[in-house]
Amino acid sequence: MYMFKYVLKRIALMFFVLFCIMTISFVLVKLLPVQDAEQFGKDAQLIKQRREALGYNKPILVQYGIFLKKSVIGGDWGISESLYRGQEVWSVFVSKLPATMVINVYSMILSIPLGLLLGIYAALKKNKWQDYMISTFIMLFISVPGFVYAFLVQYFLCFKLKLFPFQMKAGTDWLSWEMFKSVVPAALSLSFGSIAGFARSTRAELSEVLTSDFMLLARTKGLTRGQATIRHALRNSMVPIFPMIIGEFVGILGGSLIIEQIFGVPGVGQLFLNSITSLDYNFFMLLTAFYTLIGLAVGIVVDISYGIVDPRIRMGAR
Amino acid sequence: MKKLTKRVLALLLALSMVAALAACGEKATSTPTAAPTGAGQTTDTPDPTSTPDVAKEYTYNYALSVFPTNWNIHTYQTSTDNDLMGYLMAGFYTFDYNETKDGYKLVPEMAVGDPVDVTAEYVGKYGIVEGDKNKVYKITLRNDMMWEDGTKIVAEDFVTSAKLLLAPEAQNYRADMLYSGTMPVYNAKNYLYQGQTVKLENASNAAYTFADLKKNDDGVYCTPDGGKVYWAIDYELATWLGGYSLKTYVEAYGAAYFDTTTWEQLAALADEDGLVPVTDDTYKLFAPITTGNPAWGETTDDLYAYLVYDETFPALDFSEVGLFATSDTELVYVSEKEITGFYLLYSLTGSWLVNEKLYKQCESIVDGVYQNSYCTSAETTISYGPYKLASFQNDKQYVLEKNEKYFGLTKDTYQTTRIQVDYVAEAATRLEMFINGQLDSYGLDANNMADYQSSDYTYYTTSPSTFFIALNPDLDALTQNQKDAGANINKTILTILEFRQALSFSLDRKAFALAVSPTNNAAFAIFSDLIISDPETGTAYRTQDAAKKVIVDFWGVADEIGEGKMYATVDDAIESITGYNLALAKEKFNEAYDKAVAAGLMTENDTIQIKIGTPNATSQFYSKGYEFLVNNYTKAVEGTKLEGKLTFVIDNTLGNGFGDALRDNKVDMLFGVGWNGSALDPYSLMEAYTKDSYRYNRSWACETENLTIELNGKKYTATIWDWTQTISGEEITVKLEDGTTEKFSAGTADNIPEERFTILAALEGAVLNTYEMIPMIDDSSAALKGMQIEYYTEEYIYGVGRGGVKYMTYNYSDAEWDEYVKAQGGSLNYK
Repeated sequence: MYMFKYVLKRIALMFFVLFCIMTISFVLVKLLPVQDAEQFGKDAQLIKQRREALGYNKPILVQYGIFLKKSVIGGDWGISESLYRGQEVWSVFVSKLPATMVINVYSMILSIPLGLLLGIYAALKKNKWQDYMISTFIMLFISVPGFVYAFLVQYFLCFKLKLFPFQMKAGTDWLSWEMFKSVVPAALSLSFGSIAGFARSTRAELSEVLTSDFMLLARTKGLTRGQATIRHALRNSMVPIFPMIIGEFVGILGGSLIIEQIFGVPGVGQLFLNSITSLDYNFFMLLTAFYTLIGLAVGIVVDISYGIVDPRIRMGAR
Repeated sequence: MKKLTKRVLALLLALSMVAALAACGEKATSTPTAAPTGAGQTTDTPDPTSTPDVAKEYTYNYALSVFPTNWNIHTYQTSTDNDLMGYLMAGFYTFDYNETKDGYKLVPEMAVGDPVDVTAEYVGKYGIVEGDKNKVYKITLRNDMMWEDGTKIVAEDFVTSAKLLLAPEAQNYRADMLYSGTMPVYNAKNYLYQGQTVKLENASNAAYTFADLKKNDDGVYCTPDGGKVYWAIDYELATWLGGYSLKTYVEAYGAAYFDTTTWEQLAALADEDGLVPVTDDTYKLFAPITTGNPAWGETTDDLYAYLVYDETFPALDFSEVGLFATSDTELVYVSEKEITGFYLLYSLTGSWLVNEKLYKQCESIVDGVYQNSYCTSAETTISYGPYKLASFQNDKQYVLEKNEKYFGLTKDTYQTTRIQVDYVAEAATRLEMFINGQLDSYGLDANNMADYQSSDYTYYTTSPSTFFIALNPDLDALTQNQKDAGANINKTILTILEFRQALSFSLDRKAFALAVSPTNNAAFAIFSDLIISDPETGTAYRTQDAAKKVIVDFWGVADEIGEGKMYATVDDAIESITGYNLALAKEKFNEAYDKAVAAGLMTENDTIQIKIGTPNATSQFYSKGYEFLVNNYTKAVEGTKLEGKLTFVIDNTLGNGFGDALRDNKVDMLFGVGWNGSALDPYSLMEAYTKDSYRYNRSWACETENLTIELNGKKYTATIWDWTQTISGEEITVKLEDGTTEKFSAGTADNIPEERFTILAALEGAVLNTYEMIPMIDDSSAALKGMQIEYYTEEYIYGVGRGGVKYMTYNYSDAEWDEYVKAQGGSLNYK
């Protein structure tokens, strides 16, 4: 019951925060100056009239009211006016999501087990050469930006060794072998950081748990080191790791601007930035609403997941 | 129970994740960008080796860093959109090689033969009066034109398409293609704006004087057509006030420049648009404001420029528009302006044709606003050009296949059977793909020039664009900016001509090009070598004596030409110009400093701060360029009175508003700015430098500053703007030496071309001598050509380039090419 109330409260707060963020975003983007650069020999009146017809000259609050009624309540996010002129913003957005999700899913499939395994191994070999080596790689992967790996991966695996195509394959056959092959360099580049993140957290948590009193107790009860680690240490060390994994799952909807650009992934990575620079209001508000909602929902899901992973944690209980 | 709840929640969480993934899979297969032929065929490159029996495939592969999004001829916006359209459509006439393949000629494409002047047949109709000529043309069309689906194209389709283009409810972005420019269709604009009342600035439109206006019964003045006339109070005037309202000026400068006695009373009468109807009473309130203070410097003759008037376009049937079909193959085009010769054909190199059936299917009205998705995907595209769109995926790839229904296919042209264009944002990736044989061309940048500048596969292409440093010499704006920048900061020195000259003379243009953009050349004038002043003969503007004189005069070498002097000929003198004279620049810096101090603009303790604007922080051109300019100018002032006093700051956040930043007084300097297009019409291109709404800064009073030009032994004086208008066909009033005036026209077919040319050269000189637009570099590019393909000509020729895809030939078929690349170890050496 505590949990139920807690979730309801969080959901209510989530919508309130979403409303606030969308209101602020709407007002700010509309306040950006619109300067139609003069074009040689162009009838500027045509552009002005179009803006008038689109309601861009109405007071901002009136425009916001229309937006709330049409988009938030009506579910119609409108037509792109500059980025993909004449196309429905929702359709364009949805058509670009799968490419982003594909590389993120493959990256996740690679990074979660690898990160956990490396972390566990480093923890078990703490302060030995294996641990030092893994920790050095972790530091390297965390401190060097992802696009550096991306260029290196592309240069060596695609250009020199010719093992993979330079760019993600075009088309929508997301689950084909050719698509998989073309996605590997991008997924690999994306996963370096995640692998390092998981390995570092797992190593830290597991190292701490392995030195706990209950682990000593488990060993004195007669469990082997392996049995004690798997049955007791791992489970306890997963309390902060599991929410990270959930965060990764939800993160598959978010694009990576640089990686997508380097590997020709026709995803959503650049949409946000482009929607602002081209003042495509409908696109910007759709993306703002979508990603804000996802972000807020992730927060709730992660918080709830703590209670599921660790029975000692009670959400909303006094 | 609690355990069960937790398990259920955990299960739900897991299920929701699985469902999310599954849903993505479903959506992915129904993406609207998938090709009609199936997802598998959208991108799979045919493997010729596995189908040895089919005819050889020749695929032209290239990559773009900006991808098209809308190639509807009625609404497209970017040059990338235009690039794709070039494959899908045709023009009435087109550029082709001349007989000797060293120049261009215009030849019929959709048309058969030249347009026939039938003006005389339409006297009394479409605004044609007795004696008119070269206004109504009959264009005979080919009878074998069809869409890719085999549907025949007839003359009436062009009329229908024009009607769709000009549909008032559509407000198509490109509607003005039928009423702007050199060949406006009669009544096209009136049809588009029918029923609407628009407010027009008097100064840039009718230019009514008070004598032209009539007073209504209610005391409000109206135009001869009955449109209400207003004073523009809080209404932006693009022409007269550089895009600002009078209210902005009055509030900024108050009694220092205006007589503000009646201002409050007048401003209170303004409606929501910031306008006040013109009556006798409001005249009395308005007139003293702009004429009562000598500091503003205007008289009652200038009052007309503050007027705005209503113009209502009456309802109009499309039959009254000057475009109609007289048979399936005959189209009649009525131009509002007289046009003949080269420009007639040149104006008809495009087309506005759309497929009515598909176009209508793509129409929608969303919240009362017309929308159209025609030509935004493979499904909404239909071609009548040499290629058809087989697939298109947003921001990824499009594939074109040869359109067998295109009327222009011959056995000697269009060897390319397939064109694959990929979106590859990173230059490094494009180069690697090119070296591995996956692309057939690669545009070189500054980072590659050292490796490839002398490669046999490198092709240099000069474009007609010139890029400039644009400076803000507006005293009021600079005063305000320097006040905002803090104590002891000076910006007003930019108003001193010698300072701007020093900035020009101390700019090492060649070094700039080498450091920032190695494919470009140093620029020394407004118009580059590629600007053509006589397109009939292909004569370049810069090869003419008057144009040469401008350049030698401007760079101060005119007196050094002749026998026994430094340069034997004008060409030798021009050849010697580098634009870089550090010694002279240092002198000018010193002079500028002395003048600025003497005029009270600057004190000894001041530091000059020039704010340079760039669109972003990521473009190498702008980041390297800024660095170069700072180093260049800091070094240039060494040993002068400005040593240690010249500083720079950058605003690299201007984005799309980059071009407007100077005129909005956000920055003091822009670089790498300029205008492109109009390579064949420098006369209209001159407007870019003299018309307020186009210029980068608006402090030069082109409407009032006079220029005296000698024509046929007589000296004529007119304003800079009037001279600009007359070379574009307008009749102006000029003043002679004896003070008399006469009407003058230089732009029509009847006038003497030499006069027009002389005026153009004089205007170029006038623009240069302001030192507000300092020529920097002429645009040029370099690209590597792949070994699979061959261009038709080595030399780049305006209009036809190196033959384009039409004349491109192949050394290897796709299968042979794959084998060849493999045999080379998978990488090719282009160095």
